Amino acid sequence: MKKSNWLLLVFGLVLTLFLAACSGGDDSDSSSEGSDSEGNAEESSAEQVLNLIEVDEIPSMDPSMATDAIAFQWLGATMEGLYRLGENGEVKPGIATDHEVSEDSLTWTFNLREDATWSNGDPVTAHDFVYSWRRAVDPDTGSSYGPYMMGGVIKNATAINQGEMDVEELGVKAEDDYTLVVELENPTPYFESLATFGTYLPLNQAFVEEQGDQFALEADTILYNGPFTMTEWNHNQNFVIEKNPDYWDADSVDLEKINLDIVKDTSTAVNMYETGEIDRVGLSAEYVDQYAGDERMRVIEEPTLFYLKMNQTRSEALANLNVRKAIQLAIDKQGYTDVILNNGSVVAGGLVPANFVNHPETGEDFREINGDLVPVVDKEKAKEYWNKALEELGTDSVEIEMLGDDGESAEKTAEYFQEQLQSTLPGLTIKIKSVPFQERIRLNEEMDYDLQVSGWGPDYIDPLTFMNLFVTDGPNNNMGYSNEKYDELIASTSGELAQDPAARWDAFLEAEKILIQEDAAISPLYQRARTQLWDQDIQGVIVNPAGPQYEYKWAHIE
Amino acid sequence: MARYILQRLGYMIITLFIIATVSFFLMKLMPGSPLGAAQEKLSESQLEIVLDKYGLNDPIPVQYYTYMKNLVQGDLGVSFQFDNREVTGILLDRFGPSLQLGLQALILGSVIGILFGLIAAVYHNGVIDFTSTIIAVLGTSIPSFVFAGLLQYYIGVKLEWLPVATWDGFEYSILPTIALAIFPLATSARFMRTEMVEVLGSDFITTARAKGVGKFGVVFKHGLRNALIPLITIMGPMAVSLLTGTLVIEKIFGVPGIGDQFVNSITQNDYPIIMGTTLFFAFFFILVILIIDILYGIVDPRIRLTGGDK
Amino acid sequence: MADDNKKNLDHLFVLTEDNQQSNEKINRPVTTFLQDAFRSLRRNVAAMISLVVLIIIIVMAAFGGQMNEYDSTTQNLSWAKMPPKVQGLENIGWLGLDGTDSETIEASTVEAAKERGLARFKNDEEHITFDVKSEGDGTEDSAKVVATHDVYASKDMEDTYFWFGTDGLGRDLWTRTWEGTRISLFIAFLAAAIDLVIGVAYGGISGYYGGRADNVMQRIIEIITGIPNLVVLILMIIIMGSGIVSISLALAITGWTGMARIVRGEVLKLKNQEFVLASRTLGAPNGRIISRHLIPNVASLIIINTMFTIPSAIFFEAFLSFIGLGLQPPTASLGTLIDDGFKSLTTYPHMLIFPAILISVIMIAFNLLGDGLRDAFDPKMRK
Repeated sequence: MKKSNWLLLVFGLVLTLFLAACSGGDDSDSSSEGSDSEGNAEESSAEQVLNLIEVDEIPSMDPSMATDAIAFQWLGATMEGLYRLGENGEVKPGIATDHEVSEDSLTWTFNLREDATWSNGDPVTAHDFVYSWRRAVDPDTGSSYGPYMMGGVIKNATAINQGEMDVEELGVKAEDDYTLVVELENPTPYFESLATFGTYLPLNQAFVEEQGDQFALEADTILYNGPFTMTEWNHNQNFVIEKNPDYWDADSVDLEKINLDIVKDTSTAVNMYETGEIDRVGLSAEYVDQYAGDERMRVIEEPTLFYLKMNQTRSEALANLNVRKAIQLAIDKQGYTDVILNNGSVVAGGLVPANFVNHPETGEDFREINGDLVPVVDKEKAKEYWNKALEELGTDSVEIEMLGDDGESAEKTAEYFQEQLQSTLPGLTIKIKSVPFQERIRLNEEMDYDLQVSGWGPDYIDPLTFMNLFVTDGPNNNMGYSNEKYDELIASTSGELAQDPAARWDAFLEAEKILIQEDAAISPLYQRARTQLWDQDIQGVIVNPAGPQYEYKWAHIE
Repeated sequence: MARYILQRLGYMIITLFIIATVSFFLMKLMPGSPLGAAQEKLSESQLEIVLDKYGLNDPIPVQYYTYMKNLVQGDLGVSFQFDNREVTGILLDRFGPSLQLGLQALILGSVIGILFGLIAAVYHNGVIDFTSTIIAVLGTSIPSFVFAGLLQYYIGVKLEWLPVATWDGFEYSILPTIALAIFPLATSARFMRTEMVEVLGSDFITTARAKGVGKFGVVFKHGLRNALIPLITIMGPMAVSLLTGTLVIEKIFGVPGIGDQFVNSITQNDYPIIMGTTLFFAFFFILVILIIDILYGIVDPRIRLTGGDK
Repeated sequence: MADDNKKNLDHLFVLTEDNQQSNEKINRPVTTFLQDAFRSLRRNVAAMISLVVLIIIIVMAAFGGQMNEYDSTTQNLSWAKMPPKVQGLENIGWLGLDGTDSETIEASTVEAAKERGLARFKNDEEHITFDVKSEGDGTEDSAKVVATHDVYASKDMEDTYFWFGTDGLGRDLWTRTWEGTRISLFIAFLAAAIDLVIGVAYGGISGYYGGRADNVMQRIIEIITGIPNLVVLILMIIIMGSGIVSISLALAITGWTGMARIVRGEVLKLKNQEFVLASRTLGAPNGRIISRHLIPNVASLIIINTMFTIPSAIFFEAFLSFIGLGLQPPTASLGTLIDDGFKSLTTYPHMLIFPAILISVIMIAFNLLGDGLRDAFDPKMRK
């Protein structure tokens, strides 16, 4: 590029000097590097090898202890639970071939396949599920996701986790080696998709106990039963995933190998993609402009929703309904998604994302039915609400603190929202407080903030995963929102309406309207998308709405 | 000499003990919780269970006692963010790449830097002096991430001479080494020049010259030794900071080093790793300072190493 | 007769007053140490140019932001990421100040390359010009086309000029750069000053008194340096909030030990030298030895070290924003501007170039000035 030549010129001198000093090492490498980048494209198509990057080390490969996207991604690739998510969030058979649900929807009986084995040759049985699920809720394990994913779903999970009952009381038992019976606390229509989640993966008791402290710390202290196995794990550096020849459905798996390097910096990753070292890369807003029109670009929509949380307990102003309504309307979200995020994200009009769940009978999208509950922007209306609010508050100036953190474009986001709010709502001062991520979590927990941008991705495919965020005193509420009607509606979806899908659906629709239109509790911002460059010969990688982000089981290279 | 070193080693243990104590309590002051995003999903009572597991619910003096007791036995505990993994193992794992990079950069940077400084001083105020000053100044005035990014883009992507990033053998270490070496190079060149100009102006050099010792003979025989003292002072802490890893370079070049791990554990509130790394850094630092103080005595006999009491 | 003679001659001679003291007087004007130093500094061309450059930069930092009609915080997303354009310089292509973005595109054919060029600039055909560098022969990446997009024309803003362009939120970078310079300089000066005072005093005392005092003081330094800066910094910033003063304080608190060690090392070397011993033998008190003999001799090192403290303070501030602990937005500093611009290095290089050049110029100027001062202060260098 023309203008960067300036800079190049300035640094040229320094560079040449160093290169002269190091030219010894160059030659041997340039040859291998050159042939590599050329040869890769053709060879790999025959080889079925993917070269990818991961943005951080895998924190844990123990299904009970895993808490984050990276861990669930690779647990999902190397292990298999009752079911697996296929295209469009469809549930595909895993270790379970099928299941029956009792009349009252509380007892689920899963029939397991008999040809599934662990990587040490042991068969995968119903006992493995029982052991693993008990382990996840056992207070001695100290799992975070165990009680979160199973509490209130599997019978007695919460009581066991709080030490009030024995682990043996957990509502799961192996009727025989290949029949698993699960008792639920409440009817849970979405249990199928929940059972695909990493926390519900089985574990081989003998192996786990034999490994003790060492379990899941290295590639060879884990047992696999999924389409792939991890064959090499150099912590913080790279790891290798290879096809599992003993997988029950190994015939459907084309991909032989995935090489993963840990690279944290976006521009480094883009540079590696440019030299052909990796086959897929995520683009930041800055790079999307540069690659506009490139046919390798793919926009991946995610059902992850971002919204502005307004804490009603700390600031008198935010306790005022009209202030919150004004804030909902004051920010131009279109400009935000188009110019600042610039990654395909779209403005959100509600809490439940688009293309996530469909009406059980008509198949219509949730978002389409409920529509945009708040317009993209309406500064006039925002001012009206604002003036009304100022009158009610009896003041002409309001100061509100906004939490920022250190994520990508977090700083720009904070600056943009600050400017939008301040310029639309006269008398409003937004103070930005940037803190490290962990501190933000603490402040959120202790409700020691006024405004913050927050995001949520689903844990299972049901509106409830979003809607139960804001029930009174829910662990995720943390903003002092409470509405009896809302709570009742949400409770009814796991209670009396649990077996009436259409009525249950309507309850969700109504609850969302209460939350956003009536109470203006949150201000929806956008539904996230990722813009990535993919080598065009990669086909069949499924992007999941919940659980592991990518499904490589059916991927192949043309 | 032996007595002096023994005494210093004794101090070292006391210093490390104090550092362990101070940083333990500093750690407790650090806001945020080590449990990360997962705790957002937990109810109050579930949170208690997890905190109990890590011993974070004990009174702080108890936690301190436990930590110090384990420390004496060489046990740094297990990491919070990498479930169940030993801190000692993580530190050893990640120190390797940082050490290699740091050593390479230190050697490359200081050797070239000292040469630059020497030449600049000999041709004081000449064109060479000016050029090397400019290079040295540029070296310290371009933010390292900009320099590293440019290196990677032009050498790695445009010219494809060297691998762009990751850590997979010697050729992968060349670009990060260069990026890392620019700072020691610039610093040592400047200090070297300053000191050499001064040394070359002193009487004993004039005497030596008068006795007929050649220009470069003087520089190497008499000048270098005298100019090295302040350089050693400045190079010591620099060596420590290079060898203990640098976040920016490690992040940009995908090096699995300790600098990156350290910053990561700070932002994750992974107390055992922060503590372990702190103690490790401190140990390293004190050791280097001890070596420097001994080197002083060797390079310049005028400095007498004295113990606490004469 | 004799008396007469005497009388007659008297008018020819005037008696001088008896004043022995004035006989000893030195008539050459007295120059103090400082005057002397400044005189030799004035003869150093590079240092004087640097001084002038620094003064210009400081003046610009104070007033540059007011030179156009934009302020540093007003955003306008439709003006985002506009390249720089300067009146009078817009027709000199190589300067890159003509308000255009350009991209070199390689494809198998010229048509394919042009098509990508159009997509790159949002298909704004009217304002895109192509410069075909290589026709290509149908093989991969053989055709090379430079697409140039006249951004100002495409937005109907031909008469608008953003001298340094705009950032991702459509803010004027000229204003932000100078305001950022002001903040960066302020942080650096403040940190360096605190550093200097604490470091010199501590190092001087430690090195001079030696023995047990030195031992204890050095152990304290070891403890302070032993605790990683980042832990202390994060704590301070979280406790005091991330502001200009807290960042400078945090920088100084963790930074002074370097200065102290250098001063100590030098004092240790000097204090046993003959001239100090001579002075001590003559009964000079410690204070006089420190201020008259030691400080002037370590001054050069102090100055040079300060010259390094300033860039490292500016960089550390940038590093802090790199890990999310920098200044609170929308305040800009050179560090945050460079950090931000670096992300668009290959797409919108103007966001990086101006603050990067400015930071380099500031550093070079400080260094050359430091060199000049060093030469001027050092008695051995004086001719």
